[in-house]
Amino acid sequence: MSKVAFSSWGREVVDNRQGGDAEVPIVKKKLPVTFDGQKEIAALMGWDGLILNDPGVDVVAMAAEYARRVQEDFCCAKCSPGKKGTRVMQDTMDRIVAGKGQEGDLETIEQIAELLQNCKCTLCPSSAVPIVDTVKHFREDYLAYIKGTPRKSAKVDYKVKLTAPCQDKCPAHIDIPAYIEAIKERQFGEALEVIRESMPLPAVCGRVCPHPCESACRRANVDNPVNIMVLKRTASDYEWQHNHQPSMLPKPRKNKKIAIVGAGPAGLTAAYYLALEGYPCTIYESLPEGFGGGMIAVGIPAYRMPRHILQRDIDIICSLGVEIIYDTHVGKDISLVELKEKFAAVLLAPGAHKSKPMGVEGEKEGYQGSLAGGIEFLRDAYMGKPTGMGKKVCVVGGGNTAIDCVRVALREGADDAILLYRRTRKEMPADSWEIDGAEEEGVQFEFLILPKKIVVDEQRRVTGVECVRMELGEPDDSGRRRPQPIEGSEFVVECDTLIPAIGQDPELSFITDDTGIGITKWNTVVTKYVPLKNAEGRDLNDTMGNPLSRILITDMDGVFASGDAEIGPLTVVACVGNAHRAAKVIQRWLEEGEAYLTDEDFHEDILTNLGVYDKNEEVPWLAAVDRFHQAEIHGRERASKGNYNEVELGYTDTVAVQEAERCLRCYRVSMIAIQ
Amino acid sequence: MVNLTIDGKSTSVPTGTTILEAARQLNIHIPTLCWLKKISTTGACRICAVEIAGVNRPMTACDTPVKEGIVVTTRSEALTQARKQIMELILLNHPLDCPVCDAGGECALQDTCYELGVTRQHFQAEDVNPPTIDRWPLIQQVPSRCIMCEKCVKVCHELMGADALFINDKGDRAFIDKRVENCIYCGNCVSVCPTGTMISKPFKFRARPWELRKTRSVCTFCPSQCQIDIHVKNNEIYRITSDDDTTTNRGNLCIGGFFGYGYVNSDKRLTAPQVSGNNVSWEEALGTVVAEIQRIKKENGAAAVAGLSSPRLSNEENYLFQKLFRAAIGSNNIDSEARFGALRALRALNKGIGLRGASNRLEVIGRAEAVLVFGADPSSEAPAVDWQIQDAVRRGDGKLIVANMRRIHLTQFANSQLSYQPGSEIELAQGLAKLLLERGLVDNDYLNRTVENLDNLKDDLAKVDLDQVVLSTGLALKELEYAADLLGKAATVAVIFGADIHKSAAGAAKSTAITNLAIVCGALRNESGLYPLDEKGNTQGVLDMGVYPESLPGYQSYSKKKEAFEKTWGCKLPEGGCDADAILAGIETGKIRFLYLAAVNPQSFPNSRRWLEALKKLEVLVVQDIFPSAVTALAKVVLPGATFAEKVGSFTSLDQTVRNVRPALKTVGESRADAEIFAELLGRLSGGEKLYSQKAVIQEIQSLTDMYQDVCFISDDWNVCMKQAYRVADKSLKYVPVSGKDEVRGLQLLVGPSMSHFGTTSTFAPPITEVESEEVFAISPDDAGDAAVRDGEKLKITGVTGCSVVARVRISPKVPKGLIYATANFSAAGITQLLADGDNRTAIQIERA
Repeated sequence: MSKVAFSSWGREVVDNRQGGDAEVPIVKKKLPVTFDGQKEIAALMGWDGLILNDPGVDVVAMAAEYARRVQEDFCCAKCSPGKKGTRVMQDTMDRIVAGKGQEGDLETIEQIAELLQNCKCTLCPSSAVPIVDTVKHFREDYLAYIKGTPRKSAKVDYKVKLTAPCQDKCPAHIDIPAYIEAIKERQFGEALEVIRESMPLPAVCGRVCPHPCESACRRANVDNPVNIMVLKRTASDYEWQHNHQPSMLPKPRKNKKIAIVGAGPAGLTAAYYLALEGYPCTIYESLPEGFGGGMIAVGIPAYRMPRHILQRDIDIICSLGVEIIYDTHVGKDISLVELKEKFAAVLLAPGAHKSKPMGVEGEKEGYQGSLAGGIEFLRDAYMGKPTGMGKKVCVVGGGNTAIDCVRVALREGADDAILLYRRTRKEMPADSWEIDGAEEEGVQFEFLILPKKIVVDEQRRVTGVECVRMELGEPDDSGRRRPQPIEGSEFVVECDTLIPAIGQDPELSFITDDTGIGITKWNTVVTKYVPLKNAEGRDLNDTMGNPLSRILITDMDGVFASGDAEIGPLTVVACVGNAHRAAKVIQRWLEEGEAYLTDEDFHEDILTNLGVYDKNEEVPWLAAVDRFHQAEIHGRERASKGNYNEVELGYTDTVAVQEAERCLRCYRVSMIAIQ
Repeated sequence: MVNLTIDGKSTSVPTGTTILEAARQLNIHIPTLCWLKKISTTGACRICAVEIAGVNRPMTACDTPVKEGIVVTTRSEALTQARKQIMELILLNHPLDCPVCDAGGECALQDTCYELGVTRQHFQAEDVNPPTIDRWPLIQQVPSRCIMCEKCVKVCHELMGADALFINDKGDRAFIDKRVENCIYCGNCVSVCPTGTMISKPFKFRARPWELRKTRSVCTFCPSQCQIDIHVKNNEIYRITSDDDTTTNRGNLCIGGFFGYGYVNSDKRLTAPQVSGNNVSWEEALGTVVAEIQRIKKENGAAAVAGLSSPRLSNEENYLFQKLFRAAIGSNNIDSEARFGALRALRALNKGIGLRGASNRLEVIGRAEAVLVFGADPSSEAPAVDWQIQDAVRRGDGKLIVANMRRIHLTQFANSQLSYQPGSEIELAQGLAKLLLERGLVDNDYLNRTVENLDNLKDDLAKVDLDQVVLSTGLALKELEYAADLLGKAATVAVIFGADIHKSAAGAAKSTAITNLAIVCGALRNESGLYPLDEKGNTQGVLDMGVYPESLPGYQSYSKKKEAFEKTWGCKLPEGGCDADAILAGIETGKIRFLYLAAVNPQSFPNSRRWLEALKKLEVLVVQDIFPSAVTALAKVVLPGATFAEKVGSFTSLDQTVRNVRPALKTVGESRADAEIFAELLGRLSGGEKLYSQKAVIQEIQSLTDMYQDVCFISDDWNVCMKQAYRVADKSLKYVPVSGKDEVRGLQLLVGPSMSHFGTTSTFAPPITEVESEEVFAISPDDAGDAAVRDGEKLKITGVTGCSVVARVRISPKVPKGLIYATANFSAAGITQLLADGDNRTAIQIERA
C-alpha cells in the first residue's frame, strides 16, 4: 500500500477516497508500511488527525473505540470538562455505533469537542481532534450507522498508546508530564517513582542529561521550554536530602542469573530492571571499586556529576540484588564464552572508552605531552592518577568531551586551557551551556583551526602544534558547513600538552571470533532487528543510522548488547532507554524462549519516527511565567586547581513547583489500526 | 508591580498575583469551585476561565499569573455559555439527593449553579459513579456528589502532610480514595469539601446547617488554641468548624478540634455535687467544703490544706484558685502538673534569658529558614506548630532538623533526623552548639553584643568532647555536622522543644542545654524563636497566674512580692508553701490532711500509684471535675465543673496570645463553671464577693501584674490579644552552665503524647476512641522479636516502681530498638505507675502476657 486514502494529519486534508493520488509527504517518509514488519498499518488516529491507508477501515467504529480508550484508560479526571466531557463523547459514540444514535448526536460531539478546549491539559482536547475530523469528513458513515445500515468494513486490531512530545523525544521515554505533575503537587516521592519506571539514574540524568526532551517541549512554542532536567534532579535530590528510602521492591528472586559486561549507564539500567523482576545480576566492571558508573564516572567530571551522588544511585541499584565485580576485564580475567556458560544470559554493555585518533602527524610517536586522548585524560584525572598534563594544554575537538577536557585541565592546574576546533562555535556539537561554562572559567577558544603536526623539542617533548587555518564551505551531510583549509596559513600554537578529543570507539576485542557475534564497520555490536520500511520502500533508521526497531540480541543466542557499544557513542539517556528495552527483551527470552519486540515497543518506535512534537504548532497560552534557572556557582574560582565542587546547584523545592506549573501537560493518544 | 486591565478597570498588582486575586481586589467577581486560598491552585473546575486579548483560548483566572499590559475580560457571552455548559457537565449524574445531603444549605455547587443560572441539563452519559465508601472510620465518602475539586486531597497532603487522600481510577470512574493507614482524622477534608462528598459520620443526618447556632470560641485541647465555631442545637454540640479567613489557624483543625467535642455532651459527665457519694445541693456541697477547710485549719493549721489546679482551666479560674488558697484559706500549698514538665522548661528559659514562655509569635516558625525540633512531637503536642513547621519547610524552603528518639510525623519532611540515644539530650545540645562555633556558623557580632558571659560559654563548649557526644548520642559525627550546618547557615531559626525534654526528671538541665543552644544558633534574634511546648491547653495560663508556691501571678517571687498582694487582698499571706512533691510527701506523713483537686487527676502523674495510695490517707479530698474517675471515688466532696464550651474565660496559648471562650451551651445538669465555684468559695471563706466577674478578675490581674495589660474582651467576635515578641537587649542573654545527667540504661519505656488524644478528656469523646481505643505499647520490630510478641498481642511491662502494666503492642519501625513508647491518656491503663517520681522514662522488664 503506497497510497493514503484519507489524511488530516498535520491539519491538512488529503482525500483520495474518490480517486486521486495526492500524497502526504510526512506519512510517506516517516510512517512504516507495517506495524511490526508484517501487519500493515490500516489507519492511525491521533492528536494531529487521521491517517487512513485502508479505505475499508470502519472509521466510525475506530473513533468510538478511540473515545472509549481516552476516557477509560487515560483521562486523569483532574478537570471537569475532561472527566465528564470525554464520558459524554464516549457514550455518544457508543450510542451511534450501537445503532441508537440520532443526527443531533453529531452536534453533541462537536459541542463537546469545543468544550474540551477549556480543559486543564492537552490530553482530552487533542483527542477530540481526530474524532471531529471523522464527523466532518466521514459524515456519510455516521449517518449510515444512525440509519441502521452501517457499511461493511475490514476487521482490524487497535493498538493504543499514550505519549507526549517530551516523553517521545526522551530516549528513555520517561513519563515526563506525570512526574512534573507530581512535582506540581509537591509529591516529590511520587515524581521519583514515575521517573524510575524508565530511568534508574535520576540523580545523573537530572544533572548531565543533554535533555533532548526540552527540544520537544511545547512550552517553547509559548516562551521557553520547561526545565525538565532540573525538575528530575529536584525529585531525586528530595529523596536524598530527606533520607527517604527508595520505594522499589524487587519481585521474588528467580533462578536464572544474568551477567552484564560493564557498570556504565546501560549495564546499570539493565541490571536495575532485571533485578526488579527478580533476576540476580552480576556486573563485571574493569575499573576498580569506587569508580562504577562507566562513562558517567570516568567521562563526566565530578563538578558536573558529584561522585557521592552517582554512587548513591549505584548503591540503590545494588541494594535490589545486583552484584558488581570490580577490577575484572572480560576478555582478560574471564572470557565471554565462560560468562555464557556460567550465566543464563549475558548482556554486553562495555561502552566506548577508546579515543579516536586525530590523524595528526606525530600522534603515534609517544611524545611527552602528546596524550592518548580526551577520554583517557578524563579517566586518569577522575581516578587521581597522573595525567601527564603540563601547564599549557591544547584540546582538539568540539564535543562535550573536549569541553570536559579543557575544564578539567584548569582544575588539574593548567595555566592555559585552549580548545582547538576546525569549525566555528555555532557548529560545535557540544551543548551550548557547556561551552558557556568553559568560557566563564577562562578557557580559550581557537576556531577554524586544524592541527596538522605535533612540534617537539630534542627531548621529544611537545612544544606546540602546527595548525592550518580553515574556512567554511558548502554544507555537508550533517547540514553543517564543511571546513576547508586555507592554503599557506600554517602556524604553530604553542603548548606543552596536546589532547585529542574528537570521539570515542568501543573496545570490543573481548568479542572473539568464536562467538560468531558480528561487529559493524563503526565498531559497534551487530544486533537483530525488525525491518520497517516506509511507503517509498526505504528502511527506517534511528538518528544514529541504526535500524529503527532493534531487538538487541546478538548473533550468539543468549547474548545481548546495549549502550554505546550497540548504538554508537551517544548519551547516558540513550543508553538507559536502550538498556531498558534490552532488559525487557532478555526477560522475554528467558521466560518465553524468544527475543522479540512487543506492540508497545513498535508503537513507541513508530511515533518517535513520525514525530510527536511540532515546533511550528501555534500554542495559545499566556506567556506570563518564563523558565526558571537553577542556581549556579559563578566565577573563575569554581575551576581553581583541585576544585571539583558541583557548579550547578539545582532548584529549591518552591522554585521547582513554580517551574513545574509551567508544564502544559501535552499528553496525547495514538491509536493504530492494523490488519 | 504589574499593570493590567480587567473588564475595563486598570490596576497594578505585585508580580506573581493571579488574575483571580487581581480581579477580587477590584471587586470583580469570577466564579470558582475548586479555588481555596490556603492550598495551591488546582485549576480543576475551569469555571473561572477568562478571556485575555491576544490569547486564543480561555485562561483560568485562578492559576494564571498576571502579565504586564494584559487586557482581561471576565464576562462575555462565550464565557457565560462555556461556564454554564461546564457546570452542566459537572452536574451530569450528580444525584438529586440535596434534601438529604449534609451539605444542603451550605453547598458551593448549589450556590454556583444558582449564580450561573444553570437550569437545564443538555448532556447525558452513563452513570459510572462508584458506590458510597462507608468503610473508613469517622468519614464517609459519596463519590457521586464529588466534583473533583481536589481540595480535600490538597489539604490532606499540603497542609497536614498526611497524604492519605488521592484520586483513584481514570475518567468518569475516578474518585477520591484513601490510604487509610495514613489518615490522621483531622477532618479538614470534610471542612473544605464544597459539596456533601466528605461527610463527618458523627454529624451525618443529625442537623441542617441553618438549625445550628454558632458560637465563636477557642479549642482548649492543646496550647495551639485554634479558633473555632461551636455549632449547637438543643443544648448539644453537633459539630465544630473553623473559618479560613479570620482565624490564626486558617480554618485548620486537628482530630481534637474537629472530632473531640463529644465529651461535652457525654452521658458520663458529673452532673450533681456529691458529698460522701450522695448527690446533694450546691449549698450543701460548698458548705461542706467550707466547713471542712475551717475545721482542718482550726485543728491542724492552714498548712494542712493543699490544692492542685489544672491547665484545663481558664486564666481567671487559675487566678481565683490561687487567690482562694493564698488569701482566703491562708495556704500556699498549691501547684499543678506543670511541676513535672513545663515549669522546668520555664525555669530554664527564665534563668538564662528572662523568658516567660515562647520568645516569639507562632507564625514566625512558618517563615524560619531552619527549624530544630528537639525532643518534641509538635503533631501531638500542639498541631498548629506542626502546621507552621510544614509552612516553613514545605511551602517555604526551610530546613528541618528533628532530634527525637523516635521517628515522628514530621520526620518525613526532615533534612536531618537525629535519632539520639535516650538520655543523651544534654550531650546532643552541647555537641551541636560546639559544632556551630567550631564551624564558624555563628553570628559573632550578635553573640558579643547580647551574651553577658560569652567567654564562659565558649570555654565550656571548648571542653565538650565530640567523641563523647558521638558515643553518648549514638549519632555519627557527620550527621551532627550536617545538622549544625543546616542550623548555622539559616538566617532565621526556630527551636522547638517539648515533653521528651522537660518531662524528664533531668528536664531542667536538658531545657537549659537547649536554651544555651538556642542562644548560640541565634534563635532569640528578632525573626527567630524559641518555643517550649506542653501538650495541655492552658499550661501557660497556670504559670502566668502563679499557681505554684514559688511565684505569685505575673512571675513575681512569692517571698519578695507578697506585700503588694497582701495590700490589695487585704490579708496576710502565709510563709513558705509546698510544691506538688512536698504535697505528696506531706499527705504521706499526715501533715497535709485536706486536698483540693481542681480539674486534675493525679492518675496521669508519674508514679501515679504512689499518688493514689496517698490520696486514700487524706482526711478530706475535694475533687472538682467533669468526669468520674478513681479519684472522684475517693473524694469526700465532688464538685461537677464545666467544659470550655459552657463557660466564659480566657486561655493563653503557647505563644502567649490570650483568647476568650464563651458559653455555647448551658452547663449540663447541675454542673457549674469552675470560676463560679471558686468565686463562691472565695466569697464564703473571705466574706467578700461571691459572684464571678471575668472583667473584675482581669482588672485585678492587670493591676497586680505587668501581664495581660491589653486584654479586653468586648465583642462576641473572636478577640485576641497577641503578646509582642521578645526583644533581646544588649548583654541580656545569660549562659547557664548545665549540670545533671540522665542515667537510665537498658530497655526503656518512654511515656509521651499521642496524636489522637488530649489528656484524659478526649477518651470520653467516642469518635476519638474509635481511632485510638486503648493504650498500646509501640515497640520496635527487633524488641518485639526478642520478646516473641506479635502485633496486637499483649505485653507485660514492669517499671522501676515495681508496678506492672499489660497492654497490646503495636510493632512500629518508628520506635528504635531498646525503647518502647506509650501514651498515658487512658488513666485506667495505669501506664504512669511505671514511672518514677517526676520522670517520663524508666528502665523496664518485659514479658509476653
